[in-house]
Amino acid sequence: MKKRSIFLSISLALMILLSACAKPASPTDQAPVAGTDEQVLLVWDQFYRDEESKVIETLNAEFEAAHPGVRIQREVKVLADLQTTVKLALANADGPDVAQVNQGRNDMGALVEAGLLLPLNSYLEKYDWGTVFSTSVASRNSFTEDGKTFGTGNLYGVSPTAEVVGVFYNKDLFKKNGWDIPTTFEGFETLLAEIRAADITPISFGSLDGWNAIHEFSAIQHLLVSLDYINNLTYGVNNVSFDIPENRQAAQILQDWTNAGYFSDGFPGIGYDDSNNLFKAGNGAMTITGSWLAPELMVDTDQEFGFFLLPPYEGKTGMAIGGVGIPFAIRKTSEKHDIAAEYLNWMISPRAAELWAEAGMLPAMALPEGSNIDTKNLFGDTLNAWNTINQGNAVGHYIDWATPTFYDILVAELQKLLGGISTPANFTEAVEADYGAYLQSKSE
Amino acid sequence: MANVTNKYPGESRWKGWWYLLPALLVYLLFTFLPILETIRSSFYQWDGFSQNKTWIGIANYVELFSDPKFHNALGNNLIFVIFYSIIPIMIGLFLASLLSRRPIPGFAFFRTALFLPQVISMVVVGVIWRWMFNPTFGPINTFLRQIGLDVFAISWLGDFTWALPAVGGIGTWVQYGFCMVLFLAGMQHIQDEYYEAASLDGANAFRQFIHITVPGLRSEIAVALVTTIIAALRVFDLVYTTTRGGPGESTMVTGFLIYRAAFTNNRIGYAAAIATVLTLIILIISLFIRRFQQQGIEESA
Repeated sequence: MKKRSIFLSISLALMILLSACAKPASPTDQAPVAGTDEQVLLVWDQFYRDEESKVIETLNAEFEAAHPGVRIQREVKVLADLQTTVKLALANADGPDVAQVNQGRNDMGALVEAGLLLPLNSYLEKYDWGTVFSTSVASRNSFTEDGKTFGTGNLYGVSPTAEVVGVFYNKDLFKKNGWDIPTTFEGFETLLAEIRAADITPISFGSLDGWNAIHEFSAIQHLLVSLDYINNLTYGVNNVSFDIPENRQAAQILQDWTNAGYFSDGFPGIGYDDSNNLFKAGNGAMTITGSWLAPELMVDTDQEFGFFLLPPYEGKTGMAIGGVGIPFAIRKTSEKHDIAAEYLNWMISPRAAELWAEAGMLPAMALPEGSNIDTKNLFGDTLNAWNTINQGNAVGHYIDWATPTFYDILVAELQKLLGGISTPANFTEAVEADYGAYLQSKSE
Repeated sequence: MANVTNKYPGESRWKGWWYLLPALLVYLLFTFLPILETIRSSFYQWDGFSQNKTWIGIANYVELFSDPKFHNALGNNLIFVIFYSIIPIMIGLFLASLLSRRPIPGFAFFRTALFLPQVISMVVVGVIWRWMFNPTFGPINTFLRQIGLDVFAISWLGDFTWALPAVGGIGTWVQYGFCMVLFLAGMQHIQDEYYEAASLDGANAFRQFIHITVPGLRSEIAVALVTTIIAALRVFDLVYTTTRGGPGESTMVTGFLIYRAAFTNNRIGYAAAIATVLTLIILIISLFIRRFQQQGIEESA
């Protein structure tokens, strides 16, 4: 374990160094070769992990084969790097023709407001994308033309992958101790107590990086509030408040779990990846996070893992945090709109769905009929969970999209809540102060 | 008559400027203009990439001075000065006087080993220490538990009380080697006669240190103060790689606020205002230290 962590740390550090040194694309690299009709499509994506990258490489090669005269020039960045550079690049005349643009106000919203993204409505009709993804999915990639209202208006991106936040569990530990997958929230809490009594960490968790604390809280919150509420909150419409009893109750449950010792020992000082590595090595019976972890838990481990949705709270229907991955968008000033749209269509094709599924990642598109993907494994569990919430109209939201500063305030306030230096009421009040101020500034 | 001063003696004076030009151009283009541009941006509301750039006067500064997040961050920066500057200088003085007074075997090895943290990239330092401090498998807590001090095996970087000293401690580890090497070099030019005379007069090692070594190193201490205080005030990489300002806002520093405003909240103008104020604070402190140093030189002259 220790050796592995050193190795991981060093390779991470090297990666950061290397990405810092990476040569920026120069215009000369992209210019079509004189005298040929070759069209170069410059694409920026953030699928840097091995398995993901292979999917994109395959799709790109097949795209080039199917479109003679088109060459894809791919640039891969880690998400944080992409986020800080893509806005300026899209404002540039030689920027990427196609780029992955994160959802939410600070990214897609700001770019729409600046008039840098191409509305995709005509392509939506041309390619009949309405049959590929639902309106609920489309609204996550939609903004009004002024970039002010999220969740409605024009379509600006298409997402190839889907995500659902739920519970990963260690099947071996469950079998050995005779634990079953709980079907009610009460049952889940009883299970937590049982696991703790067996001197095993019930939920492997680390809040040092901050962002995943939002998922722990919001996963519980999604069991208590309604879909309308979470839509209103995220899209900033109909003047809802964050300071409501349901949110306070979710915060209370989170704090109770902390006090009962249901999270990893010393969790405030453990990072997200470290906590996952501990879980993968067999420390901890469960962990609450997104389906994106599944591919990693299927390789290089002697443990067997499964996935289930947090069971519903008594008397409520329940939802799960979920949605679609970071979408591909088109630069408005690009001169290759049609071929770029063709590329977007390629990225959400049945073939893409198949490749993503083989890699263990949830595709946002339905799998083609007759595809022989193995679903008797962890990937199958996440696929079932996604289908359950998708068909049951129970796909929630990442609430940190709600305001431009919501992520910062949620992370800071949740760390205070988990650290026991604030109460659930303090928490919802502090977050509401940010949310209310944003709604006010929007209406001015 | 009018041209005489230009022609004699030697060539005309302005020719010298041609030699300066290349370096001056680089300086103007890559240091001076960006600084001016930053100051200018601080009077605008701008997201950093669109055409909508609105002049808002000093509104960013007004907001900044009433922003509790900025006050908290600046306060943390001042605490970082203790860890980045004061403690490393004291350790550096102590180690330098140990290493310089009498020849010890392996001197070069110690000097290099103790200086080593200074040459490692801060990102690597952050990643290494994040692992060192890990509550579950980090060597610090493993060691504490082995010697029976389980109560001290806390979650360092996630603790509201201890996160700031823990990150500060990493700063101490990075900076003290630099101070030590600087002081070792300075000690070479303090004449041995002073120490001989002092010991003849019966001054012990401690008094010699206070009355000969420290005053003799006045210039080096000033240099160490300026560079380490600047490092403490503009710290970013270490916080970014260890705690990201958490838990809560307990390790938040101004450098991180600038990054957040500019790159995640799309507020270039506000980020520029923080950067401008931070630069002013650094300038004032540096000027103050230089004055203190020059006063000392005048006094001893």
